[in-house]
Amino acid sequence: MDLTVFSVAVLLTAVGAGVVGAILGLGGGILLIPILTLFFGVDLHYAMGASIISVIATSSGAAASYLRTGLSNLRVGLFLVMATISGAFLGAFLAGVVPVRVLELILGLALSYSAFTTIRQLHDELPEGVPDDPLALRFDLEGRYHDLRLGRHVSYRAQRVAGGFAAMFGAGLLSGMLGIGSGAFKVLAMDYLMRLPMKVSTATSNFMIGLTAAASAGIYFGRGDIHALIVAPVAIGVLGGAYLGTMLMARMQNTTVRKLFLPIVVYLALSMILRGLGIHLL
Amino acid sequence: MSQDHPASPVELLVARTLLTGGLVGIALILLGLGLYAGHGGFHQHVLQLSRPAGGNPPGVFVSVRQVVDGLRHRPLDPLAVTALGLLLLMVTPIIAVALSIPAFLRAGDRRYATIAAIVLTMLVVSLIAAGGVH
Repeated sequence: MDLTVFSVAVLLTAVGAGVVGAILGLGGGILLIPILTLFFGVDLHYAMGASIISVIATSSGAAASYLRTGLSNLRVGLFLVMATISGAFLGAFLAGVVPVRVLELILGLALSYSAFTTIRQLHDELPEGVPDDPLALRFDLEGRYHDLRLGRHVSYRAQRVAGGFAAMFGAGLLSGMLGIGSGAFKVLAMDYLMRLPMKVSTATSNFMIGLTAAASAGIYFGRGDIHALIVAPVAIGVLGGAYLGTMLMARMQNTTVRKLFLPIVVYLALSMILRGLGIHLL
Repeated sequence: MSQDHPASPVELLVARTLLTGGLVGIALILLGLGLYAGHGGFHQHVLQLSRPAGGNPPGVFVSVRQVVDGLRHRPLDPLAVTALGLLLLMVTPIIAVALSIPAFLRAGDRRYATIAAIVLTMLVVSLIAAGGVH
């Protein structure tokens, strides 16, 4: 393919992936990998290398803005990322030992349940009646941000911290074993288990995914999966798109973000169940 | 902490680090691509999208040493400049966590200075275990 045409087309695609990733707290790999491989004909290894850089670029672009406005919670992110990275580390060692298809089925069913609960709380703008968790107080897992949409400050405090921490470990473990991104699981754990506002969940996930991706980027680099000419337009587009996405998300309702997030959960649930049954969508 | 700025000094520092690393990384990526285009790279080169069986195509660097060699080489390998920008992007989140440790200590938050140090250790161990830093 002509390099100029390729670069411009990939750049535009990456802007879109950056916008979506920044709003939903995902790296954008879920969009980029299929588009790069199926549409542009990029080798899967190069597409995965581009995806890992895209995760880091999305995270840097989005988290830089979200941390300033208080939507990303640095303490919550650092606290939970300890669980995710250790899970991913263990997962990488367990890969090949545990029957993958059983795991995929279980994960698919768990995600289906998450989709169901997401539908049930689709219209809850902010979590209410949240009891104090002693762990949240001890680890200062609370915060406040100015909600541009609601036009007021929103204060929040994490609930079910131990459960959230365990879920983050599980998310890391699965992503390490199955080689899938864990942004969606991070958002679900913060939104559903820890009852953080949806926007805080996706914004904090944005900060965390950069750290977990940086931990594994070295593997892709050493393997020769990072192709400068393919990754460059992806990185530039995603960083710009992520910044644009943060401006859009700051003005959205929590319920809107959740509605946009739902199709991703449904897609992930279906693709995991299918993979468990031996059918690969990609 | 004023009404309009809910972010703490630590959060602002991490935000600034992420943004700076991202922008400098992108600047290097663009510089490399610009030099590559200047050398006629965009015209003579038809992008190889599949992975060749033996060896890596131009634009694929597998170690920091290769990138450094490409930068030292005369004439300069423009794609090594792009790869340097990508490397900078890759380490930016790790640098941000490292810088947050003294910032948490200055804020009198020993607990989170410790947590950030644990996260930094995990990140560095993962990188070394991945063999990406040879």
